[in-house]
Amino acid sequence: MNTTISPAATKPEAPALAVVMDERRATRATPAKAVAEKLDFWYGTNHALKDINLTIPENQVTALIGPSGCGKSTFLRCFNRMHDLQADTRYAGSITLHPENVNLVGKGVDPIEVRMRIGMVFQKPNPFPKTVFENVAYGLRLRGVGNRTELAERVEKALRGAAIWDEVKDRLADSALALSGGQMQRLCIARALATEPELLLFDEPTSALDPIATAKIEELITELRQRITILIVTHNMQQAARVSDYTAFMYLGELVEVDATSKIFTNPSKKATEDYITGRYG
Amino acid sequence: MSAVGYDLDLDHRSDPTEPHTSSNVDQTLTGLRLHALEMGALVIEQVSNASRALLERNATLAQSVLAREALVDEYDRQLDRDSLTYIALQQPVANDLRLSRAIVRIGRELERAGDEAKKIARFALTLEQASGNDPVLAVARHLRHMAELSVSMLRGAVRAADEVNPALAEAVLTRDAELDAEFAAALRQIMSYVLQDHRFLRPTIDTIFALKGLERIGDHATNVAEQVLYMIGRDRHADAA
Repeated sequence: MNTTISPAATKPEAPALAVVMDERRATRATPAKAVAEKLDFWYGTNHALKDINLTIPENQVTALIGPSGCGKSTFLRCFNRMHDLQADTRYAGSITLHPENVNLVGKGVDPIEVRMRIGMVFQKPNPFPKTVFENVAYGLRLRGVGNRTELAERVEKALRGAAIWDEVKDRLADSALALSGGQMQRLCIARALATEPELLLFDEPTSALDPIATAKIEELITELRQRITILIVTHNMQQAARVSDYTAFMYLGELVEVDATSKIFTNPSKKATEDYITGRYG
Repeated sequence: MSAVGYDLDLDHRSDPTEPHTSSNVDQTLTGLRLHALEMGALVIEQVSNASRALLERNATLAQSVLAREALVDEYDRQLDRDSLTYIALQQPVANDLRLSRAIVRIGRELERAGDEAKKIARFALTLEQASGNDPVLAVARHLRHMAELSVSMLRGAVRAADEVNPALAEAVLTRDAELDAEFAAALRQIMSYVLQDHRFLRPTIDTIFALKGLERIGDHATNVAEQVLYMIGRDRHADAA
């Protein structure tokens, strides 16, 4: 039985963010877009996420940092049910998406429906071997948008949103694989934006890009956060510091500390966080 | 204790002297700290010698203070340059960033304390041999006490910075009131002196400046001590911000 994501009758109010933030710094209560509560995840017998409790504030950028294998990508992939593509994986606990209060990792929720609302951008740009236009139009067609004029409008809007329109407007019929790495990554962002997601997941989106392409993506993230909630996994500490509003530090499958990015990078509360970000791990 | 091996409920005491994975970072930071320590030792000596030169009318000692003033300034500039390079190349965060910022500020405080020593030494050079009734002699007891206090505060602050020792830093902070009280007492004393004998108006004004200089050196020591607390994440003014 699949349940589509629709406004739930109960609990209409989204909880305020203040619960996870240092009270002195919570100058305004940002509503929560998603809340992970007592989230556990297993790959077979490997207990990869342990009791994660994290609030993702709406229209803000939250960065997940931590050493390789700490579970940050695993956590990110829970949000759009990427793990469902793998056998023998198991979730416990919940990730509640607001304002509908749907548990994203609940058994009755359709992963396809989830992925329409929660876009994802990967480490390596992975455009489809199709034209620039078709890459962006693909998700829209899946959603049943057939009208040519509407398709063209929404593709342009998505490409503009991903700050790549000016570079590809005359190349819409060309293969997406002919673009540069940085352009391909922005095309992938446009593809994710086309279905107008509420939450966008970035899994090390710039690790394969040069500094200029990286700066463009970072600038884009800063623009997007005005209307979309963003969760980003990055190995680049300076990137987390530059683009995020909140930073969460994970270690060995646990969430060690989450706070305003300015606090984490100047005066973190936990020794484990400070040791990691200052390069004091064995 | 959680599975990550740290007690997640307890706030930690940040220690910027703990070693890094990169020995290059450790070398740079140790270099900065040693540089600040050397500068501290030099400034302590400058203050101590300037006060002695004034109290003992020792022109040679006063000259040596003036001669070494340029060295104090050079230490400050060097600390500034090295910190900037470290920040640009290593992009430090958290306690590393606080340490490098604190070191620059400590350099600035020490440089200002060195300036006060220079002014006291200049005044010492203008004094002739003891006339039996000049203003320096009139407040000599206070001057000596203030010099001892300010040098001892500077010593404590520089040692606190070297050891990143908050208890030592706090001890320095509590002593500032003692120095301020001594300054007030010295002012009262010089007031009654000038009412009785106003032949030495110029040296009286200079003596007041010297007393004020020592009081300011105590303030600089206090500021250095505050930077030690800042290094470990205990910013005295952070709560108000």
